[in-house]
Amino acid sequence: MQLFDRIRLGLAVGTAKTVTAIVKQLRLGAASVLPGEIARRLHPRLLPLLCEQVRQGVILVVGTNGKTTTSLLLSTILERQNAKIAHNITGANLINGLITTLLGNTNLFGQLNADYAILEVDENVLPLVLKDCRPRFIVGLNLFRDQLDRYGEVDTISRRWQQAIAPLPKTTTVILNADDPTLSYLGQNLPQKVLFFGLSETNLYLDEIPHAVDSIYCPNCGHSLDYQGVYLSHLGDFHCPSCGFEKSQPTLNSKDWPQILIGVYNKYNTLAAGLVAKEISIDIDTIFDTVKNFKAAFGRAEELTVNGKKIRILLSKNPVGMNETIRAVKDLQIQGKPSTTLVILNDRIPDGTDVSWIWDVDTEKLASIGGTLIVSGDRIYDMALRLQYSQNLANQSNLIVKEDLREAIETALESTEIGETLYILPTYSAMLEIREILTGRKIL
Amino acid sequence: MELRIGWLYPTLMSTYGDRGNVITLQRRCQWRNIPVKIIPLEQQTEIDAFNEVDLIVGGGAQDRQQEIVMRDLKGAKADAISTRIETGVPGVFTCGSPQLLGHYYEPALGHRIEGLGILDLVSKHPGPDAKRCIGNVVFEITASPLASDLKTRFGESPVVIGFENHGGRTYLGQVSPLGKVIQGYGNNGEDGYEGAFYRHAIATYSHGPLLPKNPFIADWLIQKALEVKYQTSINLTKLNDSLANQARQAMFKRLDLTSMANNP
Ligand SMILES: [Zn+2]
Repeated sequence: MQLFDRIRLGLAVGTAKTVTAIVKQLRLGAASVLPGEIARRLHPRLLPLLCEQVRQGVILVVGTNGKTTTSLLLSTILERQNAKIAHNITGANLINGLITTLLGNTNLFGQLNADYAILEVDENVLPLVLKDCRPRFIVGLNLFRDQLDRYGEVDTISRRWQQAIAPLPKTTTVILNADDPTLSYLGQNLPQKVLFFGLSETNLYLDEIPHAVDSIYCPNCGHSLDYQGVYLSHLGDFHCPSCGFEKSQPTLNSKDWPQILIGVYNKYNTLAAGLVAKEISIDIDTIFDTVKNFKAAFGRAEELTVNGKKIRILLSKNPVGMNETIRAVKDLQIQGKPSTTLVILNDRIPDGTDVSWIWDVDTEKLASIGGTLIVSGDRIYDMALRLQYSQNLANQSNLIVKEDLREAIETALESTEIGETLYILPTYSAMLEIREILTGRKIL
Repeated sequence: MELRIGWLYPTLMSTYGDRGNVITLQRRCQWRNIPVKIIPLEQQTEIDAFNEVDLIVGGGAQDRQQEIVMRDLKGAKADAISTRIETGVPGVFTCGSPQLLGHYYEPALGHRIEGLGILDLVSKHPGPDAKRCIGNVVFEITASPLASDLKTRFGESPVVIGFENHGGRTYLGQVSPLGKVIQGYGNNGEDGYEGAFYRHAIATYSHGPLLPKNPFIADWLIQKALEVKYQTSINLTKLNDSLANQARQAMFKRLDLTSMANNP
């Protein structure tokens, strides 16, 4: 780094740290974005200067679902090696959030102290980040139809990723989901070292392809793909009868692996983090041990206890995620017991401003449990309407609409019996609100 | 009495909760004890199925899927759809499917794709980096005789609330626009028109679940479908739409449009 750069970097870092302190002092929030923005204005080359100082390398995690859980597992594994990790844990995954996270690990002279930076990156921002950062790993988890109002189409994103990753040096290793046709295809067409993770467990196949499925067409020739079986949404064992494109070969055998938490999606998260850890040469026993003892990140299958009643928060922010949480609720439901589910639909920027996606969710399965359904959130009536249309007249759940979130939670807790579990299915911003109400603690 | 709803390419053209329209039609029939069948019209579906539908629903697709559909919807299948629409079978075509009914669609990348040419309109994508038209859309139905029809039936001029998200822009020829934009982009963000209306076919960029929050359109479609099929006038029993009305009110309020809030 040149002297001039160093002085300017120090100045930018100092200012940003002051801002962080002021923001925290004034209780304006957890200061996860603003300092980054200010520092970047003072020093436009801030991100590359910070990234190149990470001792063992930067790991970028992208994908629609599972970024936080995968990053947290990987970070836990690495911390057990006494590595110092910088991780944007609050989910601030745009450029300013990444800078803020790195600044948090930097002293006043602009020297960064971290062995690894694990950065969750927004799908759309990845190409921009790659202009400034030479990562050691890029982990691509999946590409679902999430917040298309911001992103455009899956094909377009994949094309942008290809263009951004291909020119990177060969020192970058790309870890991709073999079961996702778009990512499998992407990996087969990159000049870098590419490793795949995926499932090889035919006993986990779904009975039918769920409705909320995006890309079952060959990314190479456009012909419809043949699936031997589907694990989750469009993730599965596939091949193209027309051009011969097929699922890439996973490096790990998923049958040999334990998994964190519940659900097929966490199996993928486990394999993704596990594969990176293995590539860093961490021994398999340490990885397995961390997996077995892993605790959920907030809002991801997390369990709380309030007044002797268990609460399980299952983030439900897109059709695939919500179908999976409904599957989990059904699986966890003890036969015949009354159940209460609280569904909260917000449409703020982190949730996506278009709530059309709720019509792609198989909420009929939630309604068929037959318990009490309580609805709240900014788009409460859209959600209530979806649930109304999920029922035929013969089978009516008890549908309760509560505009006030606190009241909704109270009502939900009242209708949950002692010893039973209340399931809460919130979108992202709703999850933060719920946490704040339940724990009296602000997260962002 | 039975209603057969033909759903155009559900695995290819169902991108933004478009299924909501099918579910709404299906449930509103079931709640009235009208037997209803959903018939998926897919690539492998026999032509007979296309010829037997009483109501047609089409949703949106990503560009790639749209191309596959437009290549498949040729010959006998194209003729069947044209004939159904010309004979008065109602349809609701949302998001990308109006492009399919026009003369052609020019995608962001690749070549112009020919459409069915049923509606006198053309659609063009201005390029992969052009801004998409995204956001809540509100428009008043002005197409004749749909507007007056709804007005006599429900006493108010019908205002539609929806959400649009399209890269392509549509330009109308001699076909009548479906309505006038109150808020949002509409067909192309320039001329203030939204959608198109022809015979009993409703085409609109308002994507995904158009019908749940605009149940008067759903009922108009069901009624017209039965009337065309059975050649007799039909009166549908009224349903409880209080949740739909509350959802509408909430959006009118948020968009500062309470003055025109109505629930036909
Ligand atoms: Zn192929």
